[in-house]
Amino acid sequence: MATATVVAAGTKARTEQGSGIRPSGWIGFLFIAPNLLGVIAFTLIPLVSVVLLAFTDWNLVSGLGGITFNGIDNFVAIARDPGFWHAIGLTLVYVAVSVPLTVVLGLGLGIALNRPLPGRAVLRAIFFLPYIVNVVAIGMTWLMLMNPKAGLVNQVLDAFGIQPGWFASSHWALPALIVMAVWGGVGYCSLIYLSALQDAPRQLYEAADIDGASAWAKFRVITWPSLLPTTVFLLVTLIIGASQGFGLIALITAGGPGDATTTISYYMYQTGFQFYRFGYASAIGLVTFVGVLVLTLVTWRAQRGRALND
Amino acid sequence: MRRKRFSRREVLAGMGAGLAAAVVPGCSGSDSGRSGVLQVWGGVPAASGPADLVKAFQAKFPQYKVNYTRFVNDDRGNLKLDTALQGGVDIDVYFTYSQSAMALRAGSGLAADLTDRVKADPELQVFLDTEQPRSYIEDGKVKALATAREPYFVLFNEKLRQQAGVELPETWTIEDFRATAKKLTTGSTYGTYSLPDIARIALGPNYWYDGDRSNFGDPHFEQGFRLGRELIADGTAFPWTEVLSRHLDAYQQNSFLGEEFHLWSTAPFNLRYLYDAKKYPHDFKVSFAPPPTVGGKDWNGGSYSNFIMINPRSPKFEAAWAFVKFWLTEGATPMLKGGKLPTLGHVTDEQIVSGMLGKEPDKYFDMDSFRRVVLESEPKLAADTRLAGFPEINLAVKQQRDLCWLGEKDPGAAIREVRRLADAAIARNERKS
Repeated sequence: MATATVVAAGTKARTEQGSGIRPSGWIGFLFIAPNLLGVIAFTLIPLVSVVLLAFTDWNLVSGLGGITFNGIDNFVAIARDPGFWHAIGLTLVYVAVSVPLTVVLGLGLGIALNRPLPGRAVLRAIFFLPYIVNVVAIGMTWLMLMNPKAGLVNQVLDAFGIQPGWFASSHWALPALIVMAVWGGVGYCSLIYLSALQDAPRQLYEAADIDGASAWAKFRVITWPSLLPTTVFLLVTLIIGASQGFGLIALITAGGPGDATTTISYYMYQTGFQFYRFGYASAIGLVTFVGVLVLTLVTWRAQRGRALND
Repeated sequence: MRRKRFSRREVLAGMGAGLAAAVVPGCSGSDSGRSGVLQVWGGVPAASGPADLVKAFQAKFPQYKVNYTRFVNDDRGNLKLDTALQGGVDIDVYFTYSQSAMALRAGSGLAADLTDRVKADPELQVFLDTEQPRSYIEDGKVKALATAREPYFVLFNEKLRQQAGVELPETWTIEDFRATAKKLTTGSTYGTYSLPDIARIALGPNYWYDGDRSNFGDPHFEQGFRLGRELIADGTAFPWTEVLSRHLDAYQQNSFLGEEFHLWSTAPFNLRYLYDAKKYPHDFKVSFAPPPTVGGKDWNGGSYSNFIMINPRSPKFEAAWAFVKFWLTEGATPMLKGGKLPTLGHVTDEQIVSGMLGKEPDKYFDMDSFRRVVLESEPKLAADTRLAGFPEINLAVKQQRDLCWLGEKDPGAAIREVRRLADAAIARNERKS
């Protein structure tokens, strides 16, 4: 006890006499300044700019002098724009199908990989691989696999008499993108679930075993509630990710055929970077941001009080 | 010694200064960062002509130094150029390739007025022509000059043409084109990649516009969609499912050289693939035919292109103009390597042959037809000058054409949708202007 007091007193003395600087919160800002400047320059300023630009008519090329404020015109135009509503509809379908499928398959895979399988570590790495592979490589691979004539997928499906056109069909292009999104996300989900499963309360399983509970009962009463926070985390991140899905669409379909894969992110890109309507594109971005925020909050609130640890 | 304590104001001031130092250089609109070197931005790789052109210019005008910067002529590359122009980056001369970018740049004050220089020079009088425009003229002011002409022609796989006993046409109609493509179709290969743009041949420049509305009510548009679809349906033209799933639009040359199709409506810039047997091996010669006519109308589907413009912020206007004039006139020869036929003459036939067809032209090309179609003919060529809503219309045409040629949408319905979207785009843009 006496030693501790001496050490503490010594430290205080060094701080006051040695440095000459009184500990102050402002010194901390100097240390975080490089990162803070980056956040301000590359996150906060663009964010504020987008909000301001949403109320303007601007084409970038005309420079800052070419910005004209047009009030809520962009938002009125959005409400009347069939292209916007089409893109929103596609995005909702894309999110509503790809996210639950990814989560369910990820959960199944996570549970499977949690069992003592031979070569489990290698399998985990293999299933996680799609998540870290470059989007261009994924796109090119699936483009070849889903070629309507020579692709491996159709050669297999041909045995069942099915010949989807995939990216060369306005009916199949979105399902093809969903398949790719699910394939790319399942490994990631399974890995997150795997770590959550390993934290599941062992004593509850042991108690359930003593009580003679079935596997389904154990899953329903113990596993699922303990995984609920993880599931919500995955749902939120996947919803945000899916609603921003852009890379594969730009690479493979460019929003087509027709406008069959023009999701809201791609529509925003078209409007801004192809039509140079930056004010309108910013308004679309703002509306989308609010939509995703609402969706996220709803998902978040829906699970409150239901998790095992709550 | 007692160290100074930092006040809240000092810390904030320091951070502000740091932020300003980081941000301001990128946004500077002043000429403070400009060098004495003439800065030229273009989309053609330096090795495909511009480097030699710059060398020749510097040899003739040793008082000027030129730095050529290449930007990729796609959405991202053009955005890079636009932000550079707006951000005050040192650019004196630059190129514009797409009509939509032209409207934006010229309309936003990014193109110097070249009218006086053009009017004063007898050699450049053709750029004042408004019937078959070779320049971009806005409110009576010349803002951009086309450096290249890109006429379309139809290439034949000469070996298969002879095997099929098809005569090489010197004049032909769109119906003849269809019949020829059918004759060249085999069980495993297609007669043609696709159809020349019927409406363009019939209507000429600005064919998307009619007064203050779109022109898609003209029957040639639906005829083009319908005929294209029929050719695909009867196996004469490449299936559009394959075009989309293999992204063939950007790689047509590979399929032509791989003898997957045998008639190719294309422009000079694609000739570079046909004489490079190392990179693109093939064992057949290529012969040339002019584009087919439509109802007696014979506008060429190509256009005057590769517009050169001077940045109005450039403090080196004299040097910039000297460079522009050189590129347009005596300096054009090196650009033949990249398949760029100069808008003005100033190149001999032999220079065109050796520049565009490689070292062994007779080995890969039928020279008689090349001379007839490319060297001796004078196709009706122009550049579009009506550009309201151009990118939106371009996208609408492409999207509806895809649906139509995939067999998912009736040609009439597809064209009606293009018309609706184009009218809306024109109305929105005209209202703004």
